Amino acid sequence: MSAAATVVRLEEAGGATVLLETSRALPLVSISVGLKTGSLIDPPGKEGTTRLLSRLMRRTAGGLEPQVIDTRIDSLGASLSADVVHSTMIFQATVISRSLNSFVDLLVDVLARPGLATAELERLQRETLAELKDSLDDDRSLARRFFRRRFFGSHPYGRSVSGTPKTVPEISSADVASVFQRSFVRDNLIFAFSGDLDAQRASHIARRISEALPSGAAPVDSTPEPVAVPGRRLVLVDKPERTQTQILIGCLGSHTRDEDHVALLVANTIFGGTFTARMTQEVRSKRGWSYGAYSNMPFDRRRQSFSMWTFPKAEDAGPCVKLELDMLSELRAKGVTKSELSWAKRYMVRSHCFAIDTAAKRVGLELDQALYDLPEDYYAHYLERVQAVTLERVNQAVQDRLSEENLLVTVVGTESVIGGAVREAVSDLASTEVVAFDSAD
Amino acid sequence: MSSSASKLREKRLSELNTGATPDGQIAHLETVAFGPSLSVERFRFGNGLELLFCEDHSAPVIAYHTWFRVGSRHEREGKTGLAHLFEHLMFNEVEGRKAGEFDRKLEEAGAESNASTWLDFTQYNVSIPKDQLPLVVQLESERMSRLVLRDPQVKSEKEVVANERRYRVDDDVEGAVSELLWATAFENHAYRWPTIGWMKDIEGFTTEDCLEFYRTYYAPNNAVLVIVGDVAEAALLKRLSAAYGALPASTLPIEDVRPEPPQTGERRVEVSKPTATEKLVVGYHSPAMGDFDHPALSLLAEVLFSGRASRLHQKLVRELELATEVRAFVGPFRDPGLFELFVSAREGTSAERLLEVIDAEFERVQSEPISAEEIARAAARLELGLLAGLETVDGKASTLGFYEIVLGRPGAAFERLDTTRRVTASDLIRVARRYLLPRYRSVILVRPDLSAEAGADDAEAAQ
Repeated sequence: MSAAATVVRLEEAGGATVLLETSRALPLVSISVGLKTGSLIDPPGKEGTTRLLSRLMRRTAGGLEPQVIDTRIDSLGASLSADVVHSTMIFQATVISRSLNSFVDLLVDVLARPGLATAELERLQRETLAELKDSLDDDRSLARRFFRRRFFGSHPYGRSVSGTPKTVPEISSADVASVFQRSFVRDNLIFAFSGDLDAQRASHIARRISEALPSGAAPVDSTPEPVAVPGRRLVLVDKPERTQTQILIGCLGSHTRDEDHVALLVANTIFGGTFTARMTQEVRSKRGWSYGAYSNMPFDRRRQSFSMWTFPKAEDAGPCVKLELDMLSELRAKGVTKSELSWAKRYMVRSHCFAIDTAAKRVGLELDQALYDLPEDYYAHYLERVQAVTLERVNQAVQDRLSEENLLVTVVGTESVIGGAVREAVSDLASTEVVAFDSAD
Repeated sequence: MSSSASKLREKRLSELNTGATPDGQIAHLETVAFGPSLSVERFRFGNGLELLFCEDHSAPVIAYHTWFRVGSRHEREGKTGLAHLFEHLMFNEVEGRKAGEFDRKLEEAGAESNASTWLDFTQYNVSIPKDQLPLVVQLESERMSRLVLRDPQVKSEKEVVANERRYRVDDDVEGAVSELLWATAFENHAYRWPTIGWMKDIEGFTTEDCLEFYRTYYAPNNAVLVIVGDVAEAALLKRLSAAYGALPASTLPIEDVRPEPPQTGERRVEVSKPTATEKLVVGYHSPAMGDFDHPALSLLAEVLFSGRASRLHQKLVRELELATEVRAFVGPFRDPGLFELFVSAREGTSAERLLEVIDAEFERVQSEPISAEEIARAAARLELGLLAGLETVDGKASTLGFYEIVLGRPGAAFERLDTTRRVTASDLIRVARRYLLPRYRSVILVRPDLSAEAGADDAEAAQ
């Protein structure tokens, strides 16, 4: 079974793409409204605008007061959130089916008739600034933030989705309204429904939302492909009193339209994609250095990063960085083995059932495919493509795509304790930067 | 179930039990409703192993959970964290299988597996494609009785757990403060130490400690299998009988439960942490999950703290703009726990100021009835939370296992929902007056301090 086999595409709803899988297993309805635009359309110097917009829409739907909206959502037995990333925005709702009609009235107001009141925007900006301050407590998110900004540099993927203490206060009502007008046009929306509703009801809801919006085409995503920054770079994010470190090491990764995309996914599975992959074996099982040790290869419309993540105690940070770099080097030099490949293929094919074991997940994959412009058969033929991967193909993909020369090492820790050992662990360093964890960066 | 289906089950069990050892005899004990459309069958093996089975053909997958009735409450001073360390060790070597083979085989089968330890239990969960059931039955039954514990693995796993502790507690403000709260609020009961254990205890464990723990608690008569998914009952029972029927029961020790004496005065601790703003953490002694008052107090926590429409979110985050985040929950434990609340202040706001606002709201709910609309809203949130957690077979198995271990009733999630719907304004005033009193609380005030000396290991030092 694949997602494509069970998800229905409805065409009659005013031209919009509507995905649906009916499931009567629970009295719940899940509604996702996806947009093909995300934070990349934020004006320069005003990063965080789209995310603020998404929150403001929920708070000012139909010109109502936020308390009224929150109270209504809770009373209906519903949840509504918005997830903004660089290339997309998804409003995700779940509602107990008995309340579906009343909830849809509110959802139409959220998506098509938000008040976007200035006073509420200002309140939200103050709230966001306080949340950004709070986020400094989370070392893992600090590592991710500094890694992304330094890795992509001036490329749009290096921009902050949430905004920064510098950019959030700069966002005006006009900025928010402008992003709303550009984003919320009919052709920019994709609807995904699952659960306790039929095609007629799903179409009706999608049509109600679509018809409340102006017609218009989705903004074109003109983001360029990221280019690797030459050399090995080290960023030490200095935070006092850390007994532990957060380490992210990465280089450019994969693009879903690369011919070797699936081969590289297989390589990642073998290297650090599971609990018994090489990274966990070497870092956690043999040495006990880090509770977790994984590699990751996300996708977007343009090429993303490949990264390794560990979090050893301060004394082990240097050796752990060295080990990871050695492991990457060995992967490129010797490749993966035949038995590792067979194992990984069995794992990827058999475990795929958990990516599609509910109607909501199946619809979610189809939604991703549409939002991220994935190849049309990306999920429909995913398993066949995994099965077809050969040893030569995997090892060639590793050689072609993963770099030892052009990579970024980001370490969050107490610089005075770990700095020397980490610098020593990275040979041929092109640059080292020490940055305070609470810098306005 | 119809009488003919019931007879068919009896006939099958009779055939299965013919020739089986006494330990391997399986008895069907009851059928339990699990929500409006599902039911759960309870079986017991001769060796004491319990099985909860829910046949669910919504996807070609099976959730296979093993819940042991042992958690950090069964540890003793100087050996805290042993239940959790043991959870890690269960993924190591088994007789006839080298270390790491367990996970490797499961992953090769496409399984997702994990485990968790808390105050009252340790649970191991595996989700598998339905055709891989034989493998997981074999692997899980093997590690229940034939685990191999050697020094190198114990040493390495201690290091992993120490790193987990650094991640979750020592370098995490919230984790560290929550640990301090429980250590302050409890003086006698085993809930006073953290499930992950004190660092000095983790470092001190020996292989012999682990062996003794395994022999004592890892036995069929201390375990419940919870299986939900796309498998027929008869085929499942046959396989389980062959795998678990020969495992011997153990003599379980009488638990050395030490009830917590009533707290008679507020306890207040001030700590410095490397954080940007002040934090307030408060714990009020609260009833056990099986107590009559627990659903009402949980609903009150929902009214006060859960969601953007809740009273204290509206007051602290929105109206007064004093906090970025508020949340609270009532401990779902076998013995009395804490109504635990956490608030993160905005810059310039003191933790004391946050407490003043909370106190005022608590006084209000002790004197003014909460409206029917607010009660219904909180109940709707709880209903949505329950239903959303049941979409996957793993979610169903987790819900069944948790309620079985804590309350002894696997279908109690829905019973609680019904109880919650019957909670009245009078119930909420009663529990507010009974539990939310300053003399029953412990208060942790967290001051921001980014100097290198800011207090590490406060809770451990207090022990």
